[in-house]
Amino acid sequence: MTNRRIWGFFAAPGMGWLLVFFVVAFYAVVSVGFGNVNTLYQPIPYWNPLDWNFGYMIEAIQSVLPGGQTWPVVVRTAIYIGAAITLSLLIGYPVAYYASRHAGRWRGLVVVLLILPFWISYIMRMYAWTNLLAPDGYGSKLLSALSIDSLLSSVGLLDGTDWLGGQGITVILALVYGYVPFMILPLFASLDRIDQRVIEAARDLGAPPESAFRRVILPLSKPGILAGLVLVALPMAGDYYTQTLMSASPATSMIGNTINDYIQGGPEKPLGAAMTMLLSAVLLMFMLYYLRTLRREQGEVAA
Amino acid sequence: MNSNSEEPIDEAGVSRRSLFLRTGAAAIGTAALAGVAGCGDTTPVSESGGGSGGKGLLGDPTAGGPVDSAGIPLARRDYPVTLPRFQDPVSASAKPETGGVLKIYNYADYVNPDVLKAFGKQEGVEVKVTTFDNLDEAFSKLSTAGQEYDIIFSTPDQLSKLVGRKLLQPLNPDLIGNLQKNIWDEIQNPFYDVDSRYSVPYTVYTTGVGWRNDKVTIDPANLENGWDVMWDTTSQRGKVQLLDDKREALGMAMLHEGQPNINTESQAFVNSALAGLDTMDSKMRPKVQISAYETLPAGRITLAQLWSGDLLSGAINYMPKGTPASVMSYWYQSEGGPVFNDIITIAAASTKPVIAHRFLNYMMQPDVAYENFVGYTGYQQPQKSLNAAKLFDDGILPKGLSKAVVTQDAYATGNGFLTLTGEGEQIWDKAWSKFRAG
Repeated sequence: MTNRRIWGFFAAPGMGWLLVFFVVAFYAVVSVGFGNVNTLYQPIPYWNPLDWNFGYMIEAIQSVLPGGQTWPVVVRTAIYIGAAITLSLLIGYPVAYYASRHAGRWRGLVVVLLILPFWISYIMRMYAWTNLLAPDGYGSKLLSALSIDSLLSSVGLLDGTDWLGGQGITVILALVYGYVPFMILPLFASLDRIDQRVIEAARDLGAPPESAFRRVILPLSKPGILAGLVLVALPMAGDYYTQTLMSASPATSMIGNTINDYIQGGPEKPLGAAMTMLLSAVLLMFMLYYLRTLRREQGEVAA
Repeated sequence: MNSNSEEPIDEAGVSRRSLFLRTGAAAIGTAALAGVAGCGDTTPVSESGGGSGGKGLLGDPTAGGPVDSAGIPLARRDYPVTLPRFQDPVSASAKPETGGVLKIYNYADYVNPDVLKAFGKQEGVEVKVTTFDNLDEAFSKLSTAGQEYDIIFSTPDQLSKLVGRKLLQPLNPDLIGNLQKNIWDEIQNPFYDVDSRYSVPYTVYTTGVGWRNDKVTIDPANLENGWDVMWDTTSQRGKVQLLDDKREALGMAMLHEGQPNINTESQAFVNSALAGLDTMDSKMRPKVQISAYETLPAGRITLAQLWSGDLLSGAINYMPKGTPASVMSYWYQSEGGPVFNDIITIAAASTKPVIAHRFLNYMMQPDVAYENFVGYTGYQQPQKSLNAAKLFDDGILPKGLSKAVVTQDAYATGNGFLTLTGEGEQIWDKAWSKFRAG
């Protein structure tokens, strides 16, 4: 009892922090989204749910459904995120696998290297790419020397050879680059937890390596895969500055950009707030799916 | 209307959405009210505040002429507007406040820090600048209680809204003698602020096209329609900047189509401009930014819609080593293209009105304006004594860029993006967000 009280006491500041900076802040977004604007187009939040004006929400929903103004952005965002998380997984899994099971005495170093990108702010790293991928940048020169740009160009993934000229693929690759560490770390933790003896047992029972991986390691790392996918997909869904820095073209704008445009200026701020709510709702569904799967997996392990 | 009203001005319910959304009797009430708001007759400021509109093509505003979202008549060159006063300006005999901080609210990098430092030293105050990215953001912050500044940099099209919102205080002409003494006659008594009740001019600029003449051989001046370069130079696809500003971007599309009224509220004209931008987007794949002052010198952008001052700022501050500023060229539509000015105002909440007046006066000193222009911002101020053309001839500014000079004649006949009615703003805004969705 006393123990519980002490921990409750320690948790209180953190809970208070979350309450103020998440719950209250989100309620402000909700109040703006269900509010109105004054004659000068400044949002008036309606704090009392009984007063809520659902007009902006209805407009936001119409806008993101097929045929609506924002529908192309929604589709584009889904494609970009789908491609980016798939690539992140394909790139991240082997790295995490190596780091957790085969790095041996280099393990510590590999983990440090994985965390290293976090030492430099995300925006700085993106700015670096805007220089590398500029027409006369080292990056684009190298890619050109390796004929990668003309290869991608010939299959229609790159429009011309200008990486920063409003290219979807650049935005996707930048997203992968920016968020792949978030994929690797949970994968690493999950693979690291797998009991070596389980794999040995699989071998002893005659499973060839490929089969042991497919039937033992992969299923056991599923929580890590899911955690990684969620961890990278969530921030990508709200990301807008990657697109702004790497392209800034309307042809590659993502839902985060649309929301940012509404919130930043003009008379439609409540519409931006309503879209934020919609986005949160979609992300919440993914989150719930993740939590449910996780609980099921843990249940299976316990049983 | 309902219990939400904080101030009467807030509750006019401009949102058409509320028309069909508030249910039952409330909806009918809202509809009726919004109908009135549609005429913009929300606050009779023009009567109570003693402001007036002159006679012009738009008619008498008190008889239902177009007004902005704050209820103030739309100022046009042929329809000057006297802004209402809600308080008296500070007395000319008041003593300057001493010590403390003079708080300035401005775009980033839009005034020379050395100039500010010198002013602070001269007046014994600390000068602190807070920056905003765009005027919408500025407006939101200013409307929030607790954001108290002394000096606010802004644009004429925002002025009436700031005044209508009572965010500014009127100026005392006796404290800003440099306006009469040093500033071009054309802007001493501007149509958007008759008698300069609230504002003094800051910089003058044109909106045009800048390009890298080492990477692309075009010259809009040789074309019948110079704006065609922004649509037809497909070799530069992806290396093009379109200004991230709904008025400038859509306005350019209008000028490109030969539609000279860039303050139109006609849905058809705006739609047509949107279609023009969509065509441009598919052909040129422009970046929607305002950073060409940096990216054009760096060569990452080769063709840009930009402000003349940004081009000069790039030439002054951002040329990479070994690249002469002569690689950049500039063109603007000399007849009917955008030529306008920015303004400086004093916040209603200012606790240092006298120092603030002195700051306005200081910024209009010829030596200060020169130092600010050539030494930092690249934005020229409308000083009588400044012979901008000579700066180019003398090589103080890059010779090839002399077209970036704003002449008094160009200013006098130039076009500008002016205040729209609330409905008009929404029409432009809708089109712009549609374009931004790609």
